[in-house]
Amino acid sequence: MMKKKHTHTGAHSIDYFAYASGLNGWNAAFKTVFSMGSLILCITADHIFVSLFFILAMSVLIIIPGKLPVHDYLALLCIPVFFMLMSGITIAFDISLAARGDYCWKIGCFFFSVTHASLWYALSLTLRALGAVSAMYLLTLTTPACEIVSVLRRLHLPKIFIELMYLIYRFIFILLDAHGRMREAAASRLGFRDFRTSCRSFGGIAGNLLICSMRRARVYYDAMLSRCYDGDMRFLEPKKTVRSRHILLAGAVWLAALLIWLAGKGG
Amino acid sequence: MPETILQVKGLCYAYEAGRQALQDISFDIRQGERIAVLGTNGAGKSTFFLCLNGVLEPQEGQILLHGKPDGRSRNGLREHVGIVFQNADDQMIASTVLAEISFGPMNLRLPLPEVERRVDMAVRAMDLDDYRNRPPHYLSGGEKKRVSIADIIAMEPEVILFDEPAASLDPAGTEMLEQLLDNLSAAGKTLMIATHDMDFAFRWASRVLVFSQGRVIADGQPLTVFQKETIIRQANLRQPAMLTVFQSLCAHGLLPEGLPCPRTPAALDILLGTLPVGR
Repeated sequence: MMKKKHTHTGAHSIDYFAYASGLNGWNAAFKTVFSMGSLILCITADHIFVSLFFILAMSVLIIIPGKLPVHDYLALLCIPVFFMLMSGITIAFDISLAARGDYCWKIGCFFFSVTHASLWYALSLTLRALGAVSAMYLLTLTTPACEIVSVLRRLHLPKIFIELMYLIYRFIFILLDAHGRMREAAASRLGFRDFRTSCRSFGGIAGNLLICSMRRARVYYDAMLSRCYDGDMRFLEPKKTVRSRHILLAGAVWLAALLIWLAGKGG
Repeated sequence: MPETILQVKGLCYAYEAGRQALQDISFDIRQGERIAVLGTNGAGKSTFFLCLNGVLEPQEGQILLHGKPDGRSRNGLREHVGIVFQNADDQMIASTVLAEISFGPMNLRLPLPEVERRVDMAVRAMDLDDYRNRPPHYLSGGEKKRVSIADIIAMEPEVILFDEPAASLDPAGTEMLEQLLDNLSAAGKTLMIATHDMDFAFRWASRVLVFSQGRVIADGQPLTVFQKETIIRQANLRQPAMLTVFQSLCAHGLLPEGLPCPRTPAALDILLGTLPVGR
C-alpha cells in the first residue's frame, strides 16, 4: 500500500492535482487567457525581474489559493528546471582551444570559458523560460484536461481533434489501470524475478495491452452508439462564472509585471 | 393487457458467416414487464441486447417499436431502449460524472434546461450528488456502476436492459440495485436483466427468457420455467434455492401440495405462519 501512495507520477499526478486544486472552481477560459497572457508578457518583457516576478506570482497562486502542497509543486518543477539548467550551462560556457573569457578553466587540451555577458544571458534566459513554465503550470495544475479541451472547442479547433482528445484522455486512465492490473498479475507469478523474465513479461504485457485495448475500443464504440452517439460528442459543462475578484487579481498581477518592466527599462 | 412496446420477429444475427449468435428469436415485450434473461456465457444474451437497442443490425427478422418498424432511423430504438453495460468502464467516456450522465440526453438533442433537469433527476435517483465533478477514474466499482445506471435513466427510455448488473457489486450494492429496480418498475419502466443469479431471477422477475446456443428455449413465468427439469438441464442453469427448499418441504409432507412456491424467505415465513404446521 505504501507503493500506491507514492505513484503520484506522470499523468496521474497532474490530473489529480488539477481536480483537487482550489482554483478548479475558476472559469477555465479565464484561466487560459490569464496564463497565456502571462506567458506572452513574460517572454516579450525579456527582463530578469519580470521573469522572477512571474515565477513568484504563479507559484504563490498555485500553492496558496490553489492549495497544492509545496513539496509536490517543487517536485513537478524539478523536471523542466533540470532541462533549463542543462541548456543554461551550455549557453553560459564556451569551449575553445585558447584561453579567453572572464573566467577560464583548462580541462585536457580544451578551455572552458565564461564571460559576464554569457553568464547573465544564460541566467535571464533560464529565468524567462521558468517564468513561462510557471504561467503554463498555473493552467495545467488547476484545470482538468476536459475543461481545457472544451476551451479549445470554443476556439473552434476541428471536431476530430476535440473528440480524439476526449477519448485519448479517458483511455489513458483505462489503459494505465489495465496495465497496472496486468503487472500485478505478472508479478504475482514471479514475472519480474530477474532481468530476462522481466523483459519477457514486459513484452507479454505490451502485447496483451494492445489486444485488450482493441477489444475495449469496440465495446466502447458500441456503448457510445447505444446512447445515440452520432458523430458529435457533446457534454453538459458545469457553469463556472468569472468573478470580479478573479479579474482584479489577474489585472493586478499584469499591472505589477508591467510596472516592474517599465521601472527596469527606466533604470 | 398492457401495451406492447417491442415485437421481435424472427431475429437472426451472426458475427461472422457460419457462427450464428442468435437464431430465429421471436417474442413481444409489454409495458411494465420485468424480464430476467437467463443462459450460460456465450448463449447470446449480450448480442441480443445490442440488437434490441439497435447497435447491431440483425441479418434477418425485424424489431417493431410500438408496432412500427424502426426502419430508417436506427436512433429510434436507441432512444427508447437503453443498455446498462456489464462493465461500467466500457461505458464511461466523459471526464466528469456530470458530463458523463449528460452524454445521452445531449445526444437526444434536448434543449439545455431539459438536459439539466434529467441529469439532476438521474443524479438524485442514484445518490451521486457528492460526485458530480469527480472524474470517473477516481470512483470505486460500485460508484461507477451507479454512474453507468444514471447514464441510462437520464435518457428516460421506455425499456432498460441491464447486462449482469450485479456482477461487480457488494451485498449492499446489490440491495441498492434491487431497490432501484423496484423504483423503476413502479415508475412504469419495462426492465430486462441478463443475470446468472437464479435466486434473484426467481424473486424479481415477472417473466423469464432462457437462452441456449442463440435460441430462446423457454419463455414464461419464473415458476413454470424453473420447474421444467429439461429446460434447466439444457440451458445449464440451476434451480433457485427457494424452489428446491419448497419442493423438499412438500415432499416431506411439511407443506400441503398445490400451494404456489413463495418467492422470498420472508414470504415462506408468512406462509408457514398461516399453516397449522406440527407433528
